[in-house]
Amino acid sequence: MSEEHDKKAQFETEALVHLDVLYGLALRLTGGDASRSEDLVQEALLKAYRAWDDFTLGSNCRAWLMTILRNTFINEFRSQQRRPQSVEFDEVAERSVFAELERSDPQGEFFERIIDAEVIAAIDELPEDFRVAVVLSDLEGLSYQEVSEIMGIPVGTVKSRLFRARRRLQARLYRYALEMGYLS
Amino acid sequence: MGEGAPIDCQAALERVYEYLDGELDPDWSEKITVHLERCRKCYPYFDFERIFLDHIRSRGFVPERSERLERRLLEALREVE
Repeated sequence: MSEEHDKKAQFETEALVHLDVLYGLALRLTGGDASRSEDLVQEALLKAYRAWDDFTLGSNCRAWLMTILRNTFINEFRSQQRRPQSVEFDEVAERSVFAELERSDPQGEFFERIIDAEVIAAIDELPEDFRVAVVLSDLEGLSYQEVSEIMGIPVGTVKSRLFRARRRLQARLYRYALEMGYLS
Repeated sequence: MGEGAPIDCQAALERVYEYLDGELDPDWSEKITVHLERCRKCYPYFDFERIFLDHIRSRGFVPERSERLERRLLEALREVE
């Protein structure tokens, strides 16, 4: 048994078990683009394999891999940002839907009835700038400061992107619930 | 200064997500907590936004299986020397 063989076997048991999580994260970062996500996961895992000697066994492998995946995505994302991607200002979506529901459903019970796939579709359809902020903050649980460093934008911009992204998500889920007859 | 000067609804509303994200400094966070205990208008609104965020957070991130990706990867690894 070669050393390389042992390394591969170890990588498979330690790292590849996180494949589904990595692919899930890639899908949200790319907005549900399966082929881009596969490329991203493959690139990240090959990087991880080459850096495997630097990884301390017993430390959090999943977190380490997620960081590599995120960095791989962000490098590509940032290089595509040469042309400033302006996100059109959507005034209607800036309001909280709470104003509409204050009497009928103040506890947001309609959210329970919305299927997971619709929540995911709502995230996927956000403009990329907004989506990435939501994925890093809400799905990965990173702080504003961390999101700011990763995306290379000021903390104030992180705040405004999250604000507008969340309001859009809310407005979209609300519209969906209305269409489905979950709300009167 | 104790819990500090009371704040109005506007000051609380402007910070709703920072508060719910745990991103405010302790002084501001405390001011809002105190405001929410007293304000019948703001409390339900903050509660609604918290419920909304919980839904996004708990349901947005799902591991996904892709057998094609798994095969592709094992193959790519095999080729790495």
